[in-house]
This record gives sequence, C-alpha cells and structure tokens, in this order.
Amino acid sequence: MAMGVESLIAGLDGVECARNAQGRVVLSPGTVEEVAAVTRAANERGVAIEIAGAGTKRGWGNPVDAQIVLSAARLNGVREHSWQDLTATVGAGTTWAAMQQELAKHGQFVALDPLWPETATVGGVIATNDSGALRLRYGSLRDLIIGMTIVLADGTIAKSGGKVVKNVAGYDLHKLMTGAFGTLGVIVEVTFRLHPVAAHTRVWSVASQDADALGEVMMKVLDSHLSMQAMQMCASAEGYALDVELASLPEVLTTQMEQLRRLAHEGAPMEAAEVQGIFNAREALFRGDALVVKMTMVPGAIARLSREVVKLGGTAVTQAVGIMFARFEDATTLSALRELVEAEESAALVVLQAPTVLQAPDAISRAAEEVAPAGGPRAAARSALIEEIKRQFDAKRTLNPGRFVGEI
Amino acid sequence: MLDGAILEELRAAVDGAGATKTAARPSGLIIAESQLQTYECDGLTNFRVLPGAVVLPRNAEQVQAVVRICAQHGIPFVARGSGTGLSGGALPAEGGIVISFARMNRILEIDIANQRVVVEPGVINQHVTDAVAAHGYFYAPDPSSQSVCTIGGNVAENAGGAHCLKYGFTTTHVLGMDVVLPSGEMVTLGGAAPDAPGYDLTGVFVGSEGTLGVATKIVLRIVKRPETVQVLLAAFDTIHAAAQTVSDIIAAGMLPAAMEMMDRLSAQASEAAVHPKYPVCEALLLIELDGPAAEVRAQMEETRALCAKNGAWEIRQAESAEERALIWKGRKAAFAAMGRISPNYIVQDGVIPRTALPEVLEEVGRMAAEVKLRVANVFHAGDGNLHPMVLYDQAIAGQEEIALDLSYRILHLCVDHGGSITGEHGVGKEKQQAMGYMFSEPDLETMQRVRHAFDPQNLANPDKVFPRTKLCGEKTGPYTPHPLETAGIAEYF
Repeated sequence: MAMGVESLIAGLDGVECARNAQGRVVLSPGTVEEVAAVTRAANERGVAIEIAGAGTKRGWGNPVDAQIVLSAARLNGVREHSWQDLTATVGAGTTWAAMQQELAKHGQFVALDPLWPETATVGGVIATNDSGALRLRYGSLRDLIIGMTIVLADGTIAKSGGKVVKNVAGYDLHKLMTGAFGTLGVIVEVTFRLHPVAAHTRVWSVASQDADALGEVMMKVLDSHLSMQAMQMCASAEGYALDVELASLPEVLTTQMEQLRRLAHEGAPMEAAEVQGIFNAREALFRGDALVVKMTMVPGAIARLSREVVKLGGTAVTQAVGIMFARFEDATTLSALRELVEAEESAALVVLQAPTVLQAPDAISRAAEEVAPAGGPRAAARSALIEEIKRQFDAKRTLNPGRFVGEI
Repeated sequence: MLDGAILEELRAAVDGAGATKTAARPSGLIIAESQLQTYECDGLTNFRVLPGAVVLPRNAEQVQAVVRICAQHGIPFVARGSGTGLSGGALPAEGGIVISFARMNRILEIDIANQRVVVEPGVINQHVTDAVAAHGYFYAPDPSSQSVCTIGGNVAENAGGAHCLKYGFTTTHVLGMDVVLPSGEMVTLGGAAPDAPGYDLTGVFVGSEGTLGVATKIVLRIVKRPETVQVLLAAFDTIHAAAQTVSDIIAAGMLPAAMEMMDRLSAQASEAAVHPKYPVCEALLLIELDGPAAEVRAQMEETRALCAKNGAWEIRQAESAEERALIWKGRKAAFAAMGRISPNYIVQDGVIPRTALPEVLEEVGRMAAEVKLRVANVFHAGDGNLHPMVLYDQAIAGQEEIALDLSYRILHLCVDHGGSITGEHGVGKEKQQAMGYMFSEPDLETMQRVRHAFDPQNLANPDKVFPRTKLCGEKTGPYTPHPLETAGIAEYF
C-alpha cells in the first residue's frame, strides 16, 4: 500500500503534499481538476482517502482508516457574491466565519448558525448537515444550497443545481451530498441563496424549574405571529431556560417583547430577562471528553425529552425545530437513551429519532451504537438503498470509508 | 405488452382476488380504450400516449402489489395525480401502467401543535390549507393549479408558486414519506422529526419527477398564516426601471411574499380577459408583503418610495381583500388571456439571475423581431423565473416550427446567463433535450447513478428528465390549454 501512495504522489502535479503529525500524507489540491486528479489516482490504486476540512466534527461518525488525507484548505474563498441576486458561490475550504464576513459587506449572510464558525469549513458544515437555532426561520442547508460542484471517487467532476434560487432541472445531487459525511463525493464549491442580515434583533430568555411550563410557552410562541428567528430550550440539573430571538423593525420589536412577556405570564410567573450571545450554548456541551448525542423530535416532545435527559444526569440544548444536543458525563447512559427512543417509536407518531453519537470517550464503539434500532423490512430496504447509492458513487469505497451510519 | 394473465394479476392487486365489481365499488383496473384515453396526456396536451392499463389503488399495499407486478414483468409505470403538470411528467410509456391516486385522497393526520399534516398523495393541495385554515395555518407551496393539483404531483415536480420566494418550495415543506421503490419494496424516508440518520433521500426524491419510485404517504409541514397581507401595483415606462425597483427592494433587506412583473403585451391581454383595471404601461410590478401589521406598514411605505424613485407613475395599493384578489386575478389569468391576442402560443419556464432581466428581455425582443414573432412576458421577478410566451399562428405554414425553435433558444439564453431551463414546471418529456444544454455529460451521468440505485430496471417513468437521441421527425410542444383551464377550474401561472 505504501508503494501505492508513493506512486500516487509522484503522479500528481501542482497538488501540495505534506505529512501530518501522525505521519499520514496530506494532499491539498487547489482546484477542482486537482481534486479530481487525487481521487482518480487513489481510486485506481485502491488507496482510501479521508476528506478533511478543519476537523472540528471529526468525531461525528466513525474513524476512517485511510492512507491519505485530502485537505480542502486550499479550496477556499468567496468566488462570487451576486449580492443583488442574493446568491454567493464559495469554495468548500472557506471557514464559515470568513465567508460570512465577506457577505456581510453587503449586509447579507448564509442564514445558518453552525457550531464553531471561526474554524469550521463550509464543506464540513455541509457534509455533517449542521444547523443551529436560526433554522426555525430560515430552514436547513436543504433550503439554502442551490448549487454544488462535486468530485466523485473516480475523478468525475459533476455540477448540480445552478446559481438561481428557483430551479427544478435534474436531480438535486447537492441534497444527497448534504449530511453524507463525504462518503459519496468531495464537495468542492457551493452556491448558496442568501438572506439579508436582520438589522434589529432582541433576545429574551425565561428560566424556570418547570420544563413543561416552559414547553407550553414555547409551543405558544411557535403558534404566534411573533417575528421569531431563533428559539431553543436549555436543560440541566440547575433548571430550564427558554431563549427566543425576535427580528423585526425596532418599534415592532418593542411591542412584540411585551407580547412575549404577557405570553409567558399567562401560566405561572417566570423570571424573564433580555440577554445576548446565548445561541452558541450547544458548543459548551462538547467540552472535554463526555458523551454527546444528537436526537431529533417534534417540537411538542422537547420539554418532556429535556426532562428525561436531566433525569439521566445530562444537560441538553434543543432547537425549537426539534433538534436536541445532549451531553452525559457517563457514557454508559447511551443504552438508557436507546431504550427511551425505542419506547417512543412504539407510539403512534414517531416523535424521536435514534441518538447519533457526536462525541464519545474512546471506550465506546460508535459504529455499533449509531445505527437506528432495527425496524423490520422497511428499514432493511432503506439500508440496502443507501448501500446501493454508495456503490454507484464509490464502488471501491475510496472516500471516507466507514465514516457514515451503518459503516458506509 | 400486457397480456391477459398480467391484467388478471393487476385486477387482483387492486380489487382483491376473485372480486366482482359492483356499482358501490367499481373496479380499480381500467383497460377499455375509451377510458384509457383520459390518461393519455397531462397538461402538456400535444404529447399523447395510450397506456396499457390504469390502476386506481386504495392503499399503499395495493400500490406496492402493482409495482411488484411491474418489476416482475418489466412493465414501465408512472404515477398520476390530477394530470395538471405542464411538462409531460405524467405522460404514460406506451403500453405501460398508470397508477392513479384518485382514490388515495385522505388526510390521515393533522397535528396543529407540531405543525404537521400527514396525507395520501391524491390529496388536493388546496385541501391541506382548507383543513388547517380554521387554526390559522396554511400549506405554503401554491402552484396556480392548487385547487386541483395533488400533493403527490407537487412532490414529484417540487412544485413552486408565486409565494415560494419567501416560503420556499415543496421540498421545504416535505418532512418525510413512505415510498414504494421500483423494485416493489416499501421504504420510509425522513419522518415527522427532522434530520433522520442516513442520506437525505427525502430531499433527493422530491422533484425527481416520478423516476425514483412512488410516494404513498407524505408528511407535510404547515405554516402560520401571516397577520397581515398587502398588495401594491406599480406602473413603469421601462422594464429596466421595474427591474431596478425589484433590486432596490432586495437591497433594502426586504423579502416580499411575492414580486411579479408583466410586460405591456401580457398586461393588455389580462385586461381584456378579466378587467383587473391595470394601467397601460411597459412594465407592471405587483408586490405582496406579509407579516406583522406594523412591519408590513413600514415596509410598504419604503416600497412605495422605491417605486417612486424609479419613476413609477402610478402606485396603487389594494384597499380591500376584493381589490387584492382582482389584482392577482389579472396576473393569474395572463396565460389563458393570450388566446385573446394570438391564436396559438408556447409558454416556457426559464430562470435567470434577477439582475440579468433587462439584458435577457432585450435579447428576447431582438430574437423575436428577427423571426417576426411576438413574445409576451410575465415573470416571478423576485426569483427570476420567466414565463415567456411565444405567440404564433398555427394556420401559417412553418410558423409553429419557428416559434418552437425560438422558445428553445430562449431557454438556451437563460442558461447562457447562468440560469435554468425550468423553475417550476419540471423537465418531463418537454425539455429533456434542453437538459443536455444546461448540464454536461458527467453531470448527467452522475445523476443517472442515483437513478440506477433506485431503479436499476429503468421502469419508473422512463424516458423523462434526461436527454435521449432525438427521433427522426420528432415534434415538440406548443402550448394548448388544459381542459381544466378552458373550463375555468384551474389557472395557469
């Protein structure tokens, strides 16, 4: 294999090559053609590739056993910002914050608040389908990406979508790439639809020991005409908090803050305060070496599941669209969580998706733990379909082999 | 292709083995030629192919049984809702099977608190809104055919509408579904909760135009109805001035619920047809703002100022719901109204970056003048979706060919400006050749990999979406009104 890697490197012109601390070869192509040259050469030689952005979410998924690392670092920069069209095309290696800084020159942004924006790359955020509390108003990456250039394992360069917001020509390959953890292709360039940055926002937070009472407030806000753009519930042994961010004109905000206050006081009186900088609360969950899982649910289940997490000794931050990030100091809690999910799944309406392990102490084998509970023939057919898609795109398992759920 | 034994299998699949049809429970299998003719085309009426049989299943198990029979015998199939599609997406394959969802039209579950509605594919788009309106909610995607088109068809086409600039397309509002794969296996994609582990197959399936399988149950997201809606109409002397106003509104950080533009020819035709009291002008702009009352009020003021700055000589705000409806009626009638100024016309669905609008329209005008034809333009100005209508007279020898050629060259022009051949009508049968202009061979070959994974036998709505070798003497389509449109039931938009 080492011979394969040596001959591979020898045949690549212009691709920057180095070794990382673990002695692995790191190739940094600077153009889409160079990316294609790397994957084609590796694919022909049976050499596996790990695709790397900044590595902020490397733990999300199984470790990859690959001889070379394809770094997206040189695929960076905002290539085009058509601000009057509210679109921008960006290299996958660009850090999220650098991109937003560039777009902010015209008061615009990609309306998504992922984890660790200062270091996380555009490609990495997409490959892991990360999203934050802003998803409530602006949707997920599925709604924000309008075009993509990818490179397949065999070196095929393919484009899907385009540079216009409205477009139904052909399959949306970019949706298949979003959340695929780099197992189907290398994301090289992405075109986003943009939104204007809200000029005026106010954040309001209410704390309580009663998760269900807060849950009721949350459901009332969801059912209201308030101009909310982000909302989350935080849960820990100390208590619960509901955070709401409103975006509108200043005079509208004043009225709506009052409405919000009244809404919260309809039930038991609660402590409310205006706060700032709380929508990155989920970042703190990842500190150290604890178990962190992602679970998703319908909004109506958030309060109850938050209580369950606290009961199991955990802390959680849950976005109002129903995406929970939960942290447990004791990694063995995972089995209890899975029981919780299975119990929910037997209910008429599936309200909770299986926990996906994002970070775990080494002792836990993630591959075994990540798969959703077996769900009969339908789940088997779905797994077979997912495997077939992988085979069609990367038959030799060259790209991020084993990273994905089900060790794809 | 369908022999007696296969037809019996199909009958057993949808009627139950040994069942006799009664008046109360008519057979779910149609094979009489006179009845099959109903299914030989969709809204693109100049393509017609007679299917071998039509089945009308009542539940997912029956759909699955039918698809299994197709898989076993290698029979092509296509699902069909109301047949309002405009690109031939529901056109049957010759001798193939049409799976009609006319009998699977139940709303299965309404969960207002969680803003979810679960439906069978045959449910009419408007009925979803009707079912939740009393709670102050609506289903956002609003194709103009929404009073008759089905959710299943909307999913296949990733249907849009005038309000998708703000609210998104069908894909934004579909959370999950049950799908019968072309192999006959049933899978659940996505669900009521977001981000199911695994590839986003829901995202890939929506808009795949029936080529990846058949949905049998769909989980939809509904949206809270805005507190206030206001509509403004503004008249300009040039398309350029109207387009600049649109750009200025966007630059001011506003996201209107809809922004529509009509040129002189379309506005005239609409005026003649439904009398919306449009001013006579070169470019008419309709702007709808919605949201909290105070916010809409402030934004409307700003919008009026921007219209005035760009030379609008009439700015009219609808004062009542009736006035608002009338303004929209004129816009929605634009296509059908073309009949008043031209015997025949072809409508296209190209998209361009909105800033390219003046340049592209100028070029379209030049191209039209060159071949001595008229082109009327209406478009979703907010998202750059053009609906150019090439006017011609079939009675004049050779003019239809010239008109068709012009309509495809307009699509190519859209692609040349960084746009797309279709914003909401789909590729279907109509535009499969134009796909080769928009995408390269490797792009199309990569999309085919997805198709092969879902449908290795190529049975699900084959020979659609992707280009194929053009047949000798093949004819592509001018626009002929859908019967529903002529009857005044649906509007084309």
